[in-house]
Amino acid sequence: MPLIETQNLTHVFPDGTVAIENINLKIYAGEFVIIAGANGSGKTVLARHLNGLLQPTKGQVLIEGQPICKNIVNARKKVGLVFQDPDRQFVGQTVAEDVAFGPENLNLPPTQVETVVKASLEVVGLSPFSRQNPHVLSGGQKRKLAIAGILAMKPKIIIFDEPFTGLDYPGVVQVLQQILHLHAMGHTILLITHELEKVLAHADRLVIIYKGHLVEDGKPEAVVYRSERYGVRMPLRKGEEVKEMSWLK
Amino acid sequence: MAEITFFHYIHRDTVLHRMDGRLKLVCMLLISLSASFAPALHHYLLLFSLLLIALRTAKLPWTALFKELKFFGFIILLVISINAYTIPGDPISYLPLPGLSRQGVVTGLRFAGRLINILLVCVVVTGTTSIRTFGNVIEWFLRPVPFVPETRIATMVSLTFVLIPVLFDQFAEMMTAQKARCIELRKNPIKRLYFAVFPFLEQTLRRTDQIVEAMEARGYSELRTRAVFKSNKCDWLILALCLLVFLYVILS
Repeated sequence: MPLIETQNLTHVFPDGTVAIENINLKIYAGEFVIIAGANGSGKTVLARHLNGLLQPTKGQVLIEGQPICKNIVNARKKVGLVFQDPDRQFVGQTVAEDVAFGPENLNLPPTQVETVVKASLEVVGLSPFSRQNPHVLSGGQKRKLAIAGILAMKPKIIIFDEPFTGLDYPGVVQVLQQILHLHAMGHTILLITHELEKVLAHADRLVIIYKGHLVEDGKPEAVVYRSERYGVRMPLRKGEEVKEMSWLK
Repeated sequence: MAEITFFHYIHRDTVLHRMDGRLKLVCMLLISLSASFAPALHHYLLLFSLLLIALRTAKLPWTALFKELKFFGFIILLVISINAYTIPGDPISYLPLPGLSRQGVVTGLRFAGRLINILLVCVVVTGTTSIRTFGNVIEWFLRPVPFVPETRIATMVSLTFVLIPVLFDQFAEMMTAQKARCIELRKNPIKRLYFAVFPFLEQTLRRTDQIVEAMEARGYSELRTRAVFKSNKCDWLILALCLLVFLYVILS
């Protein structure tokens, strides 16, 4: 059974703009899937549906076979969403407080909240910064904090919306290592990006969205050669293999 | 973001930071009431000195804080001017400004003093109390009140405190960006106000929307983990001091 499934998922904005149309997608446990597409193709709208932040105009989203609308809290617990701009999602005044926000929403006992916060900060390597103001962290650290905030809710699947935007080279490497570490720990990863060169080497699947439609879905080495016709830069140089493209060398 | 310290929580290990949030809120109320009803200049000075000591004890960066008070300079000047020109009284002969009254200036200064003291109370409290503690305290005080959604109110207050420093930062950034494009060359104050207010309002609404979305994504619920409070002798001593100041100001 897929962990997440969308069935004819369609979202039309109140002004009539069709953001996504008839998206059928299945994500299985343990996969590392990249969703690529040009700006405005509907990638972020799709991600927000998977976490229950948006309600479909038509179709539905199933998590472990259950429609998301039947238990929205369960959806948010199982599907963690790391936003594109971490600065805008911090609700705590210290790193630890921000991470605690999710487990407190789940009404966990205070001692358990503390344990979960410590463990999550440990995983992303931010324990020494637990008393810092989130806004003074570096770009890479902010992304890690956003990840810790999601990890504290113990999700099965983590969606990263453009996780490399605005990061310098060390920042990209830091975040990429973190994502791969989470994948190795057993989390299912869904990563939204148009910068395939940074991450494609590590993915199991590449999905391309074009003007709100799912147009490609398959192994990265099979799909990537057609990416440019959908407005996504083909990252491979002549003779280069997908697996040779990693930024972690 | 890190440059502005006003209304930001600044983590330090001090008596005021460790103080029981419930008692701190009571102290804040007592000092704010004292500042609002203080009848004479020496009361203002007493409260001002007390707040300076609090700033020092909390190890808050007061030089930076006082520099940032300039954001309120305009409001303070406006308060003094309106009072000075609208309250009738004896003219001030040695000042070359016609229409000013001595009583008006005194009343204006008194209002300005109140405003500065209340601002400092807010700076001390926001600088030493994290939003989470603040929200938990409000929730604790409201819990016994029937028909009051204490968690929702606490969240609203907490979010306001999250947003205030962020909006200050954003406003400062926006003004700097406008200066970089020579906004000073525009002499029409209404036009300048227009360029400041409308983008700011739009940004505020957008920012609010983003925070709400981020909270939703992390499963915001009113059935949340409840905080456990602890108070010690030192906290009660601070409360007793504030109570004494309050009684002295109100009864004199």
